[in-house]
Amino acid sequence: MRKQQIPNLLGALTLIFFAAFPFVYSGGNYDYVMHILIIGFFYAIMASSWSMLAGYAGQFSFGHMGFMGVGAYTSALLLHYVHFAPQPTNICTEYQIGGTWMIFVNPVGVTSTSLVQDCLTQAKAIWGSAVPVRDVPVWLGILLGTFMGGLFGFLIGLLVLRLRAAYLALFTLGFAEILKATISAEIDVTRGQAGLETPALFENGITLFGQAYTRTDKLPPYFVFFFMLLACLAILTWLSRSKFGLFVRALREDQDAAAALGVNTTRYKILVFVVTTSMAAMAGATNAHYVGIVTPNALFLLQMSLLVSMAIIGGVENFVAAAIGAIIIQTLLEILRSASFEIGSIHIDMIYWRLVFFGILLMLTLRFSSNGLIAPIIDYFYRSDVGKETVAKREQSSGKEGAAS
Amino acid sequence: MINLEVRNLNKSFGGQKVLQDLNFNINGPELIGLIGPNGAGKTTLTNILDGALKPNSGTVYLNGERIDQLKPYEVALAGLGRTFQVTRSFRRMTVLENLYVPALAVGARKNRKRVHDKAMEVLEFLTIDHLCNEYAQALSGGQQKLLELGRLLMLDPGVIILDEPFAGVHPRLMEVIYEYIRRVNASGTAIVIISHQMDAIFNLAERLLVLDFGHIIADGPPQEVKNDPAVIEAYLGVDEDEEEEGADAPAGA
Repeated sequence: MRKQQIPNLLGALTLIFFAAFPFVYSGGNYDYVMHILIIGFFYAIMASSWSMLAGYAGQFSFGHMGFMGVGAYTSALLLHYVHFAPQPTNICTEYQIGGTWMIFVNPVGVTSTSLVQDCLTQAKAIWGSAVPVRDVPVWLGILLGTFMGGLFGFLIGLLVLRLRAAYLALFTLGFAEILKATISAEIDVTRGQAGLETPALFENGITLFGQAYTRTDKLPPYFVFFFMLLACLAILTWLSRSKFGLFVRALREDQDAAAALGVNTTRYKILVFVVTTSMAAMAGATNAHYVGIVTPNALFLLQMSLLVSMAIIGGVENFVAAAIGAIIIQTLLEILRSASFEIGSIHIDMIYWRLVFFGILLMLTLRFSSNGLIAPIIDYFYRSDVGKETVAKREQSSGKEGAAS
Repeated sequence: MINLEVRNLNKSFGGQKVLQDLNFNINGPELIGLIGPNGAGKTTLTNILDGALKPNSGTVYLNGERIDQLKPYEVALAGLGRTFQVTRSFRRMTVLENLYVPALAVGARKNRKRVHDKAMEVLEFLTIDHLCNEYAQALSGGQQKLLELGRLLMLDPGVIILDEPFAGVHPRLMEVIYEYIRRVNASGTAIVIISHQMDAIFNLAERLLVLDFGHIIADGPPQEVKNDPAVIEAYLGVDEDEEEEGADAPAGA
């Protein structure tokens, strides 16, 4: 077997492992272990799309969690406020579409819920079960969330066209913080820190492989995130091997030189924002429905740092490495929660110390292996023969005539 | 037939007028040396031609198409390529990938195999084909210059502006660059060389443009320009015995 095929083989084995895991795992804490992996997949989507944006295209955005929030809140708000009924409530804002009424629920905020019911709740109290009220399907919320993430990515991409490096990082960080502040402030609409509750991914349960699963079972969301991750990695792989991948890397290396060679740098810069922010928003919207609630304080800065660390420890210029890094680190951080050991008489409880070790690992990675810990391993298989090849070629050509120094 | 027309170009930065009513033409595959003291406006002129800067007034036409309001990538696609004073290779991309970028930018859908073959041909010509799979950052300074020239060949423009192609280059690589310039020129490409290395310029150029304080003070065959008093005063150095006070520039068109 050729050396270059080894990563492909390892990749295939990893896929089989994760595909089979929910069926063969028989250790304790099944739901908890599944939950860790689901969140691991979520971070893997975030980290791999961010590595396309920051590692491939050099757009070091600190707003990725913000775009995740755009997706999450788009879906949550849509499902919270928009409903369908076969007849009008006459108290809500509503529009007739064919034989159905599209009902917009009025925002009632957090504090007044016990005093004032929203218009749909009031209408339902009168209707009883006679009138079936339908919600927007979850998949449509996720789809719209993805679209909104892309739209925000497009706008932010337009605004940061002329910004480079640190300025771009600051700008995108500002965007995420403004978004967070807005969500916290608009308590009437977003319920602020109280958060918006969201229906589960499969609110009414689902039957998979002849087995019925309820809304709280972990297996269906596990596969939703697993396949979403695979789809994202497939899209990123396809993009990276196309003209797009070549051009965004040229953009990262030298924007002016790329433009002087005929690359429409504006188009590709915006495009890479749209693609990666859509992925972040999709992961965010899906996660919102998996967790069951979206809140502004769980978002953004701290999470963003975690995401950046995952991508950097995996390897920021390789989105597969970033994805693997995210899953491993997420798992490690969870395992370390329950670990503890003694140094002499000092008791080290990892639940407090794990982030310290994680931070040290990040610093060591940045100092000694700036392309991460996993990407160099992949590179070893793909590129280790290049040096030998160069020497062989030079010797071959120096036989013909004197080669350049 | 290549035709570049620069008409009444003006550019100032703040109060400083860098280019003033600049006029010149390039007709056909000429080999032109653009010289002038530091601050004469050579790089500003290049940046305007390339679209990186917009002129305050004046026009630039390339083969009948107005290019002075286009973006850099549009200018490149219109057929004007340039190198930079400081080498700007895509350092963390392989040598071949460096060449693919312009090739794929020019053609929307190109046969990858054909692009690869052409890139290898170009690298062979530049004597760096053995480095094709190395990252550009592994190349020496001189080799990176060659790589930049190679990228231009993949873009295949009608006019090439080389900004200091000989700076810091080993004499042996210099030969490769000479050969490159002559061959690319012979294949029908107009080349403008900006350089302070007079030997190289006089060796290669058929026509010299001398820029001083944003004006063209001389334009003609190298031997003629060399003896032009205005040029001697402004650039080549004043021989005190022959110093002529207030000699106006007899700028040829």
